[in-house]
Amino acid sequence: MFFRKAFAFIKRDFLIVTSYRFSFFMEIFGIVTTLLTFYFIGRLFEGRIVSHLVPYGGDYFSYVLLGLTLSNYIGTSLSGIMGQINSEQSMGTLEALFVTPTKIWHLLLSMNLWGFVYNTVEGAFYILFGIILFGVDLTNMNFLSSMIIFILTIITFSSLGLLSSAFIIVFKRGDPISWVTGTLMGLLGGVYFPVSIFPSWLKDISLFLPVTHSIQAMQLAVYKGYSLTMMLPQIGILVIFSLILVPAGFISFNYALKKAKKDGSLIQY
Amino acid sequence: MPEPLYAVETIDLTKYFHHGGAKALKNVNLQIRHGEIVALLGPNGAGKTTLLKILSTLVLPTSGTAYVKGYEIVRCEDDVKKSIGLVTGEERSFYWRLTGRQNLEFFAALYNLKKNQINERLDYLFNLFEIENPDKRFYEYSAGIKQRFGLIRCLLHEPDVILMDEPTKSLDPFSAKSLREFIKETIVKKTGKTVLFTTHRLEEIKDFCDSAALMSQGEIIACGKLSEEDIYKCFSERHSHS
Repeated sequence: MFFRKAFAFIKRDFLIVTSYRFSFFMEIFGIVTTLLTFYFIGRLFEGRIVSHLVPYGGDYFSYVLLGLTLSNYIGTSLSGIMGQINSEQSMGTLEALFVTPTKIWHLLLSMNLWGFVYNTVEGAFYILFGIILFGVDLTNMNFLSSMIIFILTIITFSSLGLLSSAFIIVFKRGDPISWVTGTLMGLLGGVYFPVSIFPSWLKDISLFLPVTHSIQAMQLAVYKGYSLTMMLPQIGILVIFSLILVPAGFISFNYALKKAKKDGSLIQY
Repeated sequence: MPEPLYAVETIDLTKYFHHGGAKALKNVNLQIRHGEIVALLGPNGAGKTTLLKILSTLVLPTSGTAYVKGYEIVRCEDDVKKSIGLVTGEERSFYWRLTGRQNLEFFAALYNLKKNQINERLDYLFNLFEIENPDKRFYEYSAGIKQRFGLIRCLLHEPDVILMDEPTKSLDPFSAKSLREFIKETIVKKTGKTVLFTTHRLEEIKDFCDSAALMSQGEIIACGKLSEEDIYKCFSERHSHS
C-alpha cells in the first residue's frame, strides 16, 4: 500500500513540476551552468598539485562535482519535508491530505520522494557530463561503501529535517535548525573545498557537523575506493549522529503534530 | 462490530484553544442517526467548523469525546478517517495545476483504492455528478464544478458519514440549491449516507435537512426539526440573555 501511495506522490509532483514548462527548462539550464562554472574554476588548478585535494584524487572538478551531488541530497533530506508541509499549507491542501486514511509517516516520506528523484536525475546529469565531457574518473569507486555512507547521510539529515519540520509546525517560520545547517554546510562542510584548508580551530568546529563526515567519507569511497573498514571512524560518527537524531526527530515531530492539533493551527502558515 | 445506534455522537465535547481563553465548544452533546441530514447552524465563531474538524480528527478535543460510526475519534483515528468524507467550501484544497481527473486519481490512491478500481470509480462518479470534461486543469473549472469535485473526492472511498463545512459558500443561490437537491436525492436517498454540514444560511435547512442544531458561542442552544420562526426565537432569546 505504501508504495502505491508513494508512487502517487511522485506522479503528482512530476505532473506539477512539468506543468511549469519554462521553469523546468530553466532548471535544466541551471544544472549546465553550475557544471561549467566549477569546470572553469577547476581549470585554474590544472597541472598543479593541490595538497589538500590529494587525499581525494587531486582533481578539483571531480571533488566539487561529488560534493554538489551529495549536498543536493542533503538539502532535500534537511528541508524537503518542511518545504512540502509549507507548500501544502499555503496551497490549502494539507487538511485534504491529513484527512485521508494514510499514516502520517507514509505521508511525510512520500511527500519528500520527488525531491530525491529530482536529485537523482540531477546527480546523473552531473556525473554523466563529468565523465563524458570533463574526464571525471569513477573507476576506483567502492560501491558498497558509497551506498552505506549515502544511506547514513540520508537518515541523519532526514532526522534533522523532521526536527526542522516540527519547528515549522509549531512556530510557523524562522526554523533555526535548517538555517544553521544549510548556511554552515557550504562553508564548513567541505562541499566546495576540503576542510583541511581551514585553520585548526575552524577545522575543529567543522567536525561537529555531520555533513563534514558525509562529504569526506563519500569522496574517499568514490575516488579512492575506501572499504567500510577503512572508513570506520566516519561511519561510526554518522551512526552516532543517526542514533541521536532519529529518535529526536520522530519524538519532536509527533509532539509538534499533537500540539498543532490541540491548537487548531495545522493549516496556519 | 455491531452497527452503532448513531452515525455521529458527541458526549460533552469541549474545546478551548488557549488555556484561560474562550471556549470554542462547551459540552456539546449531539446524536445523529444513520441516513440523516443535519445542519449545524449559527453565526461566525459559533463553533461549527471546530466541531467538524474535531469529528474529522484534524483538531483534538480538550475534554469530552465523540464517536463516528462507533469509533472514538482520538483512539481510532484511522477507522474514523475511513468512515468519513470531508468537504470544505475551500476551493484551494485541490492542486490547481493538475486536471480534475489527475487530482482525483491522486486522492484515490491515498484513500486506498486499488489501481484497477480507480478508473471505474471515477467514471461512475463523473457520470453521477455530470462532470463533462474531467481533463481540464482544475483552475479552469467554475466554482460550482470545483465544489462537485470536492464532493466526488469525499465519496471516492464510499464513506458512510459526510461532513461538509459550508459547502455552498462560494456558490450562487441557484447552484447552491441545485447542489443541495443533488446531495439529498443522490447521496442520501440513494446511498443512505449520513450528512452533517455547517451553514449560516437559514434557507439551507428548509426542505433539505431532517434536523438542525443551532450553535451560539460554542454551545448547542436548540436541536431538532426547527422552523425559521423557532430559529429566530432561539437566537433572539439567546442574545437578550447574553
